[in-house]
Amino acid sequence: MNPALTEALAHPAIWRGGDCAPEPAAVATGFDALDAVLPGGGWPRAALTEIVLEREGIGEIMLTLPALARLQVEGSLVVWIAPPYRPYAPALAAAGLDLARFVVVRDVDERDALWACEQALRAPECGAAFIWTSTHDERALRRLQVAAREGRSWSVVWRRPGRQASAATAPLRLALAPHEGQLAVRVLKRRGAELPHPVLLDLRREQRASPHSLSDHHKRPKPSSHHAVGLPVPAVARARCLRAQRRR
Amino acid sequence: MEQPPLIIHDGARHPVVVAANAAAQNAGIRRGQQVSVALALAPDVRLHERDREAEADALAEIATLALAFTPQASLAPPAAIVAEVGASARLFGGVPRLLEHLAQQVQARGYHVRSTIAPTPTAAWLLACAGVAAPAAGATRPTAPVITTAVTTIAVTTLAQLPAALDALPLALLDLDANALATLNAAGVTTLGAARRLPRAALARRVGTVLVDVLDRAFGVASDPREPYRPPPRFERRLPLPATVETVDALGFAVNRLLHDLSGWLAARGLGAMRLTLTLVHERHLRERGLAPTSVAFAFGAPARAPAHLNAVLRERLARIELPAAVDTLVLVSDETAPLAGRSLGLLPDDVRSPESASDAAAVPLVERLRSRLSDDAVVVLETCAEHRPEYAMRMIGAASIAPARAPVSDAPVPPRPLWLLDAMRPLRADIEAKPWVLRDGPERIESGWWDGRDLRRDYFVAESPHGETVWIYRDHRYGTDDGEWFMHGLFA
Repeated sequence: MNPALTEALAHPAIWRGGDCAPEPAAVATGFDALDAVLPGGGWPRAALTEIVLEREGIGEIMLTLPALARLQVEGSLVVWIAPPYRPYAPALAAAGLDLARFVVVRDVDERDALWACEQALRAPECGAAFIWTSTHDERALRRLQVAAREGRSWSVVWRRPGRQASAATAPLRLALAPHEGQLAVRVLKRRGAELPHPVLLDLRREQRASPHSLSDHHKRPKPSSHHAVGLPVPAVARARCLRAQRRR
Repeated sequence: MEQPPLIIHDGARHPVVVAANAAAQNAGIRRGQQVSVALALAPDVRLHERDREAEADALAEIATLALAFTPQASLAPPAAIVAEVGASARLFGGVPRLLEHLAQQVQARGYHVRSTIAPTPTAAWLLACAGVAAPAAGATRPTAPVITTAVTTIAVTTLAQLPAALDALPLALLDLDANALATLNAAGVTTLGAARRLPRAALARRVGTVLVDVLDRAFGVASDPREPYRPPPRFERRLPLPATVETVDALGFAVNRLLHDLSGWLAARGLGAMRLTLTLVHERHLRERGLAPTSVAFAFGAPARAPAHLNAVLRERLARIELPAAVDTLVLVSDETAPLAGRSLGLLPDDVRSPESASDAAAVPLVERLRSRLSDDAVVVLETCAEHRPEYAMRMIGAASIAPARAPVSDAPVPPRPLWLLDAMRPLRADIEAKPWVLRDGPERIESGWWDGRDLRRDYFVAESPHGETVWIYRDHRYGTDDGEWFMHGLFA
């Protein structure tokens, strides 16, 4: 590229189509390929994240573990509300989570679960709050979004397979699906340009490589197993893609 | 508003008035009168029998409050507390401020206080009692002792001032026997000052050594050790409600009062509450028909003492309780306590905070807030157990406290374990034959458990289902056959 052009583009006032909105307090996911496509370079704090699952048991929790471990190192609590199965303590401990800072809320109805999530999001000691819910109550989700914005917790609304997601409130929405032994993360919505291709992560190989040190993942050099298939594309190119699709 | 005349009598065969409220005094009723006289003076007067047990409880309650200000407080029955404040005056910003705080707290519980400061405990007690000897004024709680009439502070700060303050006090204040008092009266000796000027040896011979000893202690000639009051090791307080209460909302005030008492007791013993039980006792006729009291248990994540904190937790839980019937008494019991260090004072003199600095509800830890509305068992922390059978290798602990940090995980190689464990194993049956499953890791044989009757023998595999899920499956070899059934036990989520 023309060096003069590069210089001009480096100006902070210039916004390009592929850029994302600034996210001041993001938690690195521990996966470089994913960090690259998330606004702020990580999971957003102070905003709701919605994750839609095509299947369960595809590494969806493993995807969150490095960030959870990092939040716990900071001294924050991790709260899981109404998980669909029993979180298996030996596996969590082996993955580097601190069980003393890990709270599970279970056997509660939908209303209490949402209440608990809101409380957790507003609590200063809470670093991450996950809720598994099938609610489509727009107001309840909006309440969560407000609570997330006021607090500083990373909050994830999990949508189990077969449940339609409709939360337009969440500023970040991801869909997870298995893809030839890897985890395909499709960014449905983010504060930035749309992503045409999913990000493929090989969690299994990652786990093999270091079963105990997910928490200090950031200290290690870039693992070769991570590679992004989808990279941010300029908005113009994206628009062209859409038009091409429509013509078809 | 004019209150109806009310007197408290001693319940003897010929009952005597012990205390009378303002309306009764206006009618001419005085302490020491026969109740029959009082009834003649004011036919509509209401009578209450003196409850000495309640008086002792009330005195203990006030002594507990005083212990928040000094480690040395002792009971001086029937109606006084003697506390050593010289050493703690500085901590609370001087004697006047200390007394003000103490009086505020005692008055908040419905008692009247007269506080006096003197260099010796006996002198302080005598000066305080001198006010009581005058007819009581103002409303008094029916079952509580009349401590004093108003908040007035008489301060005598040096031994040299004592004679001037004490000499005029009547000898009748002292707990002397009637004969001795009569003897002294007949001799024209009616005040402490007059008795003090008599020759000691002769006085002791005539009326006994008690008077001489009391005088010596009052004027600081002899030492005056007092046994310090120690609050009971377990907090249990009954609060009868003035009227029966039908809804939980209306209990707020009474609960708050009990919590303040509890907070005072906790502060006096340097403790924080871990678990509490609040019992709501229903009306008597329902009780007799076999309706059990409603009991509510509370657990705190960490030792708690501030009334606002305790109240925030209790309120949330109480709001979800359906009362089966009206309540007439509350009982608060501390089931478990833990040491809680006191709060540090500021370095600078202006930084002296009020002793009951209230923390707001937002400071209540998250786990407690969740537990108070959901239940203790709905909010759990996980713990691993040393156990080879996967389903018993972890525990969920309901009312455990959130420990700061636990021992790090050992570096021993861990065989693959799923992040989600199914509570009920899912039989795979035909699924496993219909489509190709990929067995990626295994078999891992997990077996035995005969000692508790949950014997098993399984071969575990990490497998990939045809849909792309990574799951933990096993083949059940419990019955020793080579072709056991397949089950799914977990998901590598």
